[in-house]
Amino acid sequence: MHMEFASFPYLSSILAACLLGFGAILLIPARHTMLIRYVSAVFSGITLIITLYLFCAYDKRVGGLQFVEKVPWIPPLGIQYFNGADGFSLPNLLLTGLVFFTGVLTMWRMETRVKEFFALYFVLVTGVFGLFMSMDLFFLFVWYDVSLIPMYLLIAVWGTTRKEYAAMKLTLFLLAGSALILPATIYLFVQSGLNTFDIVALMQPGTFGESQQKFAFIFLYLGFGILAGVWPFHTWSPIGHVAAPHAVSMVHAGVLMKIGAFGILRVAIFLCPQGWQHWSQLMALLAAIGIIYGALVGLRQTDLKYVIGYSSVSHMGIVGLGLSTLTVDGLNGAVFQMFAHGVMTALLFSSVGYIYDQTHTKSVAELGGLSRTMPVASSYFIVAALAGMGVPGLANFWAELLVFIAAFKVYPLRGVLAIAALVVSALFMLRVVQRTFYGPEKEKYARLSDVPFGLGIPRMILAVVLLLFGLFPSLMVDMIETASIPFFNGLPR
Amino acid sequence: MASCWIENSTLLTAIVGTWAPFVTFVLIMLFTRHRPKTSAGLSLASATVSLASALVLLGGHWNLQRPLEYTGRWLVSGDIYIPFGYLLDPVSLLMLTVVAIIGFLVQFYSLGYMAGDPGFSRYFALMSLFLWSMMCLTISPTLFQLYIFWELVGLSSYFLIGFWYEKFSAGQAGKKAFVMTRLGDVAMFLGVLLILLHLGNLNILEIDSPKIVGLMPPEMLTLAALLIFGGIIGKSAQFPLLTWLPDAMQGPSPVSALLHSSTMVAAGVYLFERLFPFFLFSSTATTVGLAIGTISMLLASTMAMVSRDIKQIWAYSTISQLGFMLMGLDAGGLFAGAFHLTTHAAFKALLFLCAGVFIHQYGTNDIYDLAAKGTRRMRVPMLCTIIGAGALAGLPPLSGFFSKEVILAKLAGLPNPIWLVAALLGVFLTAYYAFRPIFIMLFPPSLPAANASNAAPEGTRHRLLYRIMVGPLVILAGATVALGFLQTPLRNFLAGQYTGLTTAGGAHLGWLPYVTSLLATGGVALTWWEFGRPGARQTGFVDGIPVIARFFAERWYLDRLYRAILDHAVDRGISAVLAQNDTRVIDGSIDGISRGTVLAGRLAALINAGMIQYRLLMIFAATVLLSLYFFF
Repeated sequence: MHMEFASFPYLSSILAACLLGFGAILLIPARHTMLIRYVSAVFSGITLIITLYLFCAYDKRVGGLQFVEKVPWIPPLGIQYFNGADGFSLPNLLLTGLVFFTGVLTMWRMETRVKEFFALYFVLVTGVFGLFMSMDLFFLFVWYDVSLIPMYLLIAVWGTTRKEYAAMKLTLFLLAGSALILPATIYLFVQSGLNTFDIVALMQPGTFGESQQKFAFIFLYLGFGILAGVWPFHTWSPIGHVAAPHAVSMVHAGVLMKIGAFGILRVAIFLCPQGWQHWSQLMALLAAIGIIYGALVGLRQTDLKYVIGYSSVSHMGIVGLGLSTLTVDGLNGAVFQMFAHGVMTALLFSSVGYIYDQTHTKSVAELGGLSRTMPVASSYFIVAALAGMGVPGLANFWAELLVFIAAFKVYPLRGVLAIAALVVSALFMLRVVQRTFYGPEKEKYARLSDVPFGLGIPRMILAVVLLLFGLFPSLMVDMIETASIPFFNGLPR
Repeated sequence: MASCWIENSTLLTAIVGTWAPFVTFVLIMLFTRHRPKTSAGLSLASATVSLASALVLLGGHWNLQRPLEYTGRWLVSGDIYIPFGYLLDPVSLLMLTVVAIIGFLVQFYSLGYMAGDPGFSRYFALMSLFLWSMMCLTISPTLFQLYIFWELVGLSSYFLIGFWYEKFSAGQAGKKAFVMTRLGDVAMFLGVLLILLHLGNLNILEIDSPKIVGLMPPEMLTLAALLIFGGIIGKSAQFPLLTWLPDAMQGPSPVSALLHSSTMVAAGVYLFERLFPFFLFSSTATTVGLAIGTISMLLASTMAMVSRDIKQIWAYSTISQLGFMLMGLDAGGLFAGAFHLTTHAAFKALLFLCAGVFIHQYGTNDIYDLAAKGTRRMRVPMLCTIIGAGALAGLPPLSGFFSKEVILAKLAGLPNPIWLVAALLGVFLTAYYAFRPIFIMLFPPSLPAANASNAAPEGTRHRLLYRIMVGPLVILAGATVALGFLQTPLRNFLAGQYTGLTTAGGAHLGWLPYVTSLLATGGVALTWWEFGRPGARQTGFVDGIPVIARFFAERWYLDRLYRAILDHAVDRGISAVLAQNDTRVIDGSIDGISRGTVLAGRLAALINAGMIQYRLLMIFAATVLLSLYFFF
């Protein structure tokens, strides 16, 4: 038993930055709200810089797990503090860094209980970061729960519409998810006979028999699937999106739902590939239903955040569809979509945040003509909406393209249905854009100011990221492929 | 490509020409949004660069023997390879030049038309965005790239239609255009995927090569061709997806001239040219295409016969002419389609730009209003309109006559004469509706006095704007006249395309040109009788039968049908049911579970209600049960 560090512990320093930020916020008296904001921005900025560095520094030619950190923690149970990053987790880490930092900036003008808000926000994100980097099943589960608890408080205290109800619903759903994950985790731990929670060790072929994999997979899939908004376990997410404060909605839709999808990938698919093959038909079915269903229900929504919420259900269906195809392209597309959808949805919520702060309404019917009043703020929303419609030139297009190609090959009918949903998603996105931003300017909003440069920064960052990966998709796909191709080659045939 | 692109002058020219507008778009959006003059200057400069590069490319490859293809890696994922590149062959070079020339002229014209508009910079940014995507679409070597830029031209079209977004109808029209074309695009995407599935890649040259027949079973090939044709239907506003185009006239007139008549909507026809051999492999697809083209041509003509809106009349004529091009292509005439596309681009852009001058001057789209306000006094635009309408009607010796002739000859070669008959009927109707607005505007019942305030542009600034707008008109009018005589060189140029492809030759019927001219003249004469001659009542023969007139004016009730489907079946139907289902059934059952849990807790709590007698009873019962368990 010894410590292993492949390099400077970058991954741990991300967590350290979060915890230091958390500590610093706790130490600052609550009345110094501006200082708290700056501290939050600095520490979240540090995490963004580290994740960005990791994304660039990852050696794609070598591939595999890099920046590994391994410290035994409870040897009798085989629990290690084991972090590592690969082509699947790096996009998600970068996404978390982006959403974290831009979320802090989005909440810059919030005035209620600033200290408590940012403190909880930091805890939430710590859990998310930890989950994406952890290669130890036990830690992964702990991080999962770390990220759930602050969520409840953040929504229940700082939320808006039916916040207690939403917070409770969300927490219960996610705990139900973890109630499915935990037994499956223990089952796998016991069945392996290796006395370790090390994912790398557990994923060696032959560790689990086929029936064990089938059994464990469905628990893990449903458990994480609840978090990923898999139909029909999605209803917590639009309600939660709506109730949460803006930055929390950003983390919630942008990152938290990705945790679910990432958990399906990292735990369920990695450890039980045969279970994956067995259940893939079901996954594809639920995903395809989710894509169409989310878009159609979204068409009827009248609250801006509900619209985004249902679009998330639809878009997360695309992730699920990609994961279900059992192909390299499907996996690439799914992970790319996790990233792209995260950025896009964060941009949407961030823009809605600004609009709501100005107009104090999220109702599409009450808004209108905002393009005249606040052209810049509107254009950020429109960019994100275009990304959501799968317009080329923005990151989501490529992700959807890859998933659809893969799905069309493997599940023609479900693939066709999912592709047909593109029309509906265009319809409802454009409808919202038109009713909110176009049309004659409304008298009551005429005096509102457009987003100033400083407050525009978070949206600018997100929009640039969407455009960057939209124009140069191989930046992302080459990264993901370092993980997806070896994973496929290692699969038992 | 990466190593030598800078040394290869052809490629360098192509790259600079296509990407200059994109750079402009980014620059304007980021930096010069509040400096309209700089924005316009940038945009015009990049349009000039594009124009120059297109002309250089066309001139340099006039005797091109085989297609030039350059590709570089854009995205590789698993077994999907998506390159970005350039495919230069006669078809793409011709289209590139058409796009660049009209794009440049329209941008120049817009300096006058859009002057003083609060969205001036945004306008030029979007125009550049369009130019970039349209040019990249044109030179696509793979269907992937073509699809991507196909979507992007749709996007720029959406923004430009809804350019005056404060007008509710404009935003509505933009949305309608995007969603309806998306409907076709989804079909096209599926068709593209089908090809990918069988061929393994989407290289256009490979799709066009005969080996595809060996790789795809015939029914799959037909299906793929039909699906891709769905995309053409959407983009080129063919039946049944034709109703978005007339609404798209909500955009500024130069936009209609560039996007919604001469280039973007012609992208559908261009795609057909691009995949010409592929379509010809499936006779079912060409027959369906022929039928769709014919129906669209006739349907749109009838709509144009009763419309009062000058831009809508030209929009219907665009649908009709695009249908006509598709007929020519489906009949096996590559040159027929391409030639008519080229001449149509010139005369239709001309017609729209002229209409723009009138609208800019008088602020109305209604032909009767325009006539009453004195359009006939604006000599140059009026004359240009007549030239354009003459070409549209197919009057010799204007270019439209020659290009229609080529298509008609192809149709005459088909075994079934019905297509030729339909086309000839179309020629007659086209002549009729094309000259209806002309005679109405030329011979209004009464005219305001010559010195009335709005008779002619006044003031130096106004005069300058007017001159700026008239310049491109003259050039396009010249092209409209001249293009007809360039038939032979263009035919030779395009002969290099798809060599080795044998198509049924058109019939050379000596009487055909005479019949066509006669029909066209007859159509014009009928219009003159109804609208032009002194004392004419200025109502068409269709107006005599109100039911039919209404039927045509309502666009054969297609719009109402779609609206009803969207409102009742989708919005209030399936979407509402699902939304109810979501809150009541799915979420409701989950809430039910939670309520059930709470209820169970309440019941269980009764036992522990703190009353001593229940406690004792429980202890007693438990003791009994445990002792039973242990002893037996």
